[in-house]
Amino acid sequence: MVDDPTPQPTWQRDFPYESAAEDEVTRREFARYLVAGAGVMAIGNLGLAAWTQLRTINTGEPRALIPLADVAVGDTYLFTYPSDNDPAILLRLADDDVVAFSQKCTHLGCVVYFEADEDRWHCPCHEGNFDARTGAVISGPPPRPLGRIDVEIRDDTIWALGYQP
Amino acid sequence: MRTSQRDTRASSAVVVYVIILVAFQVFLLTVAVEAFATDDEPLAWATAGISIALAAGSAALLRYLRP
Repeated sequence: MVDDPTPQPTWQRDFPYESAAEDEVTRREFARYLVAGAGVMAIGNLGLAAWTQLRTINTGEPRALIPLADVAVGDTYLFTYPSDNDPAILLRLADDDVVAFSQKCTHLGCVVYFEADEDRWHCPCHEGNFDARTGAVISGPPPRPLGRIDVEIRDDTIWALGYQP
Repeated sequence: MRTSQRDTRASSAVVVYVIILVAFQVFLLTVAVEAFATDDEPLAWATAGISIALAAGSAALLRYLRP
């Protein structure tokens, strides 16, 4: 009995899949596939940039949020603004003083919440902190202040007037 | 070195360059997603610009591959 000089690899024995074209991909074709992939990713990047731009163009329409009496001083109220996919949070600082911000942390988009003890907005993902009144960055990795939502009290109701990214 | 060997090495190098550029494109895509998540328009546009330049660069490298 003569040994086969080129024994079949184990993987080929276990998975005997063969294609007529499997040996016909040239280096140039392979590079073309890669370049096509690069083109698709570039188009995806461009689309994401356009989508980001379009999202931030929407600054919202004025609308009533909640009766003032339903939010106690020092309490927060969660809502969405300017679109239903944009989480926002409102804080009643005093009897007639209300502020509202986008709940998305400017670092990586996690949701911030109010820390009453520290009087600040806190992002639990990477320990980012923002000023409760202005939304300015106090500490942590966020590069920009929180997006601000203009609010106003009209006839004992809190209104959102517009969003400033 | 014979011409055919030199050509083979050159086209291998081009393929390696293209692979590196495509890997960088994947990284840029993750940056774009982060910019999207945080509404960071300047970063999103900068990423898109670099990504398009890299895609054009890798397409240009195809010229140096043997047919």
